[in-house]
Amino acid sequence: MIKFFAKRLAMLPLVMAGVTILLFTLLQFLSPEMRAALYVKDPRQLSALEQVIQKYHLRDPMPVQYWVWLKQVLPIGAPADGKGFPLQFKTPDLGYSETAKMPVFEAIQSFFPATLELTLMAFIPIMAFGIWFGTLSAVHKDKFVDHLSRFIAITGYSLPSFVLGLLLLMIFYGKLQYFPPGRYSLDIDMLVHDAAKFNHYTGFLLLDSLLNRNLAVFWDVLKHLILPGVTLMYISVALLVRITRSSMLEELSKDYVRTARAKGLPERVVVGKHARRNALIPVVTLSSLLFVRLLGGVVITETVFDYPGIGRWGVNAAQQLDVPGVLGSALLSAMLFVVANMISDIVYAVVDPRIRVQ
Amino acid sequence: MTRRLRAAAAILAAIAATRPAAFAQVKNPDTFIYATIGEVDSLDPAWSYDSRSHHILRNVYELLVQFKGTSLIEFEPLLAAQIPSTSNGLISKDGLTYTFPIRKGVVFHDGTPLVPEDVKYSFIRYMLQDRAGGPSSLLLDPILGINATRDKDGKPIPDLFQRADKAITVAGDKVSIKLARPYSPFLGILASHGEIISKSWCVKNGCWDGTEATWMQHNNPQKQSSYLLEHVNGTGPYALDRWDRKNKEVVLRRNDKYWRKPPALKTIVIRSVEEFATRKLMLQAGDADTTYVPIGNFPQVQDMKDVKIYDRLSKLETPIGIAFTFKLNTIANPYLGSGKLDGDGIPPEFFSDKDIRLGFARSMDHETYVKDILRGKGSPTRGLIQKGMLGYNADGANVTFSPEKATEHFKKAWGGKVWEKGFQFTMVYNDTQPNVQAMFQMIKKNVEALNPKFKIDIRTVQWPTYLDQGHSHKLPMFLAMWSADFPDPHNMVFPYYHTHGDWAFRQNYSNPKLDKMIEDAIVILDPEKRDKAYREIQRVGFEEMPQMLIADRFRFRIERDWVKGWIFRKVEPDAPYGDYYYDLSKEAK
Repeated sequence: MIKFFAKRLAMLPLVMAGVTILLFTLLQFLSPEMRAALYVKDPRQLSALEQVIQKYHLRDPMPVQYWVWLKQVLPIGAPADGKGFPLQFKTPDLGYSETAKMPVFEAIQSFFPATLELTLMAFIPIMAFGIWFGTLSAVHKDKFVDHLSRFIAITGYSLPSFVLGLLLLMIFYGKLQYFPPGRYSLDIDMLVHDAAKFNHYTGFLLLDSLLNRNLAVFWDVLKHLILPGVTLMYISVALLVRITRSSMLEELSKDYVRTARAKGLPERVVVGKHARRNALIPVVTLSSLLFVRLLGGVVITETVFDYPGIGRWGVNAAQQLDVPGVLGSALLSAMLFVVANMISDIVYAVVDPRIRVQ
Repeated sequence: MTRRLRAAAAILAAIAATRPAAFAQVKNPDTFIYATIGEVDSLDPAWSYDSRSHHILRNVYELLVQFKGTSLIEFEPLLAAQIPSTSNGLISKDGLTYTFPIRKGVVFHDGTPLVPEDVKYSFIRYMLQDRAGGPSSLLLDPILGINATRDKDGKPIPDLFQRADKAITVAGDKVSIKLARPYSPFLGILASHGEIISKSWCVKNGCWDGTEATWMQHNNPQKQSSYLLEHVNGTGPYALDRWDRKNKEVVLRRNDKYWRKPPALKTIVIRSVEEFATRKLMLQAGDADTTYVPIGNFPQVQDMKDVKIYDRLSKLETPIGIAFTFKLNTIANPYLGSGKLDGDGIPPEFFSDKDIRLGFARSMDHETYVKDILRGKGSPTRGLIQKGMLGYNADGANVTFSPEKATEHFKKAWGGKVWEKGFQFTMVYNDTQPNVQAMFQMIKKNVEALNPKFKIDIRTVQWPTYLDQGHSHKLPMFLAMWSADFPDPHNMVFPYYHTHGDWAFRQNYSNPKLDKMIEDAIVILDPEKRDKAYREIQRVGFEEMPQMLIADRFRFRIERDWVKGWIFRKVEPDAPYGDYYYDLSKEAK
């Protein structure tokens, strides 16, 4: 098992290198002047374009440019003063994002935890509910539960997230006043910005509130996550329910299930231990894709709920031709995709021992 | 199952317990929340020239004087102890020297006392920083008689510090300003611009040291280089608590050491919420006290409970118009297509041909725009100058929608090449203006219908990008509107028609004849002659048509009915939405 993990981990830098080469190649479609102009925001400095071109080797062959760029981006490099170890950890320099008004790396650090918190808030219930409900509808095929799952799937597929989001917001905020938009309420906003009263250890507010032993912040942040979480969950759970259902139906019709039933095993064990475990392989594949899709696709939900996350920043960056911002968010998405795939490979091995042997 | 039901009931009960009680009382009684759109550009008074930023400055810094209530002709002193006039001898008989006794006992937010030297430093810095497209000309023009600090080659003019130092003098507790020429709207300018900053604090934090030796190093700086970009130390009723770029909000806290009675509201939150539906729900729930409502969404709020609406407000501003850039910047400009007149792009000087401009102007259906897009909250315009001001011409000329005339102009443009080859370019607007999108789509539809070779794309960008790209002459056609800096016709025509005006600068537009007419008109003292001069400027401007003017529009403001004290200050930077928060309080009905 350890060898299996190690192999998968070793692949990670290679895949990332491939992704960065691809992204970098795409940049080459812009002329050296256009790329240099991205660093020169002030019109009176346009005469400095040539200096920027030289500094970043923008007229050099692509491999040279890539190496210069990589040295900037890699979190390890030679020390600036040439002293100490030849390689030291450093902050990756991904450039400055005009849309976020801060360096790209800082923007990722500040927006990503919020989005990850929101995504996890949706993803964990999606997995639990999707697998449970998919199994239930397969076991009760063509009964009420199955029809209900079909209804949820159809509405989930067809309802745009902004419609559902606004609908929920109108009911649960406009009418009932339960769940407000934003990341926290006004008083909590003041509290979390008071350095004497609240420490930001991780950037994940739920976690930070627990570390600060402040349940009021925890509860407030959680309340703000519920509606966007439910919106994401509802529009994404449908696929998981349907895949689980069809996979379960296939497994339930197999001989080993019939044998298990013939042996007199309780139905709970037949379904839960035998059939469902085998039915989970396609579900695991889907779940990793779903997780990455959730992370990248939360932009509309973030906009409707006024939630300051990475999706909204990425889209703003693209709209405003903020190339460092776009590159940074694309790099992050690619990295997440690779990591999610790796995790799903590992989960495959846990779910199905044959994969480990292979 | 029973256990699960019990658990579910317990969760629901917990949620219900956290539900806020219905607010018969005022929600957040000490805090005022303004949910708006767009972002702050800079908090440096010598840099900021957009309403979003300037409205923050209005509350954290202070001017020497301000307009009294809703009046545009009466003033009240702020950091000046008295309003200068010829009768009290603080304005010299020749109208050239204004003397301001500086108020005593005022302290900046950091506790430093205000001294007359701060006033002198603030004004000279305001003038000499002179970033491209910035507000410096507002003081440069009356005080030094120039509109820019750089010569034609972009180099700072050497003796400017000496001239400024000589024009603004400190004697005891008084600051005297000697104007280059009589300038009747001078007090009006000081009631809107020229925020007073602390010299010692600025110098300590790496700003200009106030000496002749270094001023050129601080002339036309990069935005990021200024400490004042995101740090504030004023004397205003509010101090900057934070500018949170991640959550897109600015929080102001009450200045308890304020020299007047401290403001009623303790905290002001100005939050950018891009989605209108969310802003509306915030207003409805009482989590916003006022919000920006686009005209198209007015029907959604007009019958809302527990709110007040102030309707048909005429802000001191120019009509909605569209500006053409006469010479476009081609470097890294994504809006020009091929950059040539080959059907796939436009050349950089495309709009310098008057027939092109007239072709577009004739393709705009003004009346439909007012009726359908402004929902009747406007009227077709008659010129830059608003009704009630000198120079207003009720019979001013404007073009009308005519596809036939538009075709004629396009056929003549660029010696017939435009009609033969066609063109393609992108019109850009700020992403928070849906009515502008509708206007651009109307133009696109009408122009593309004239010739299948005419292609226009429409693109949206955020406000700071819009500002940056405008300043670097990258936007081929863009929205031009002007909220007056001070109540005078000069401020209406200068930005549009003078070489150093904000719009004309972005458009790379320059007309020496109009420059001279504008410079001559400002020194005329006889109201009748001035009226005539500004009518003439508008006539010549209309003939040139560097911008097409479309419609005068009415504004409205919506606020929770517990908000008290709001008055419509016509020249307030973000009026009628963003406020001078000192006026406001929150009380139950």
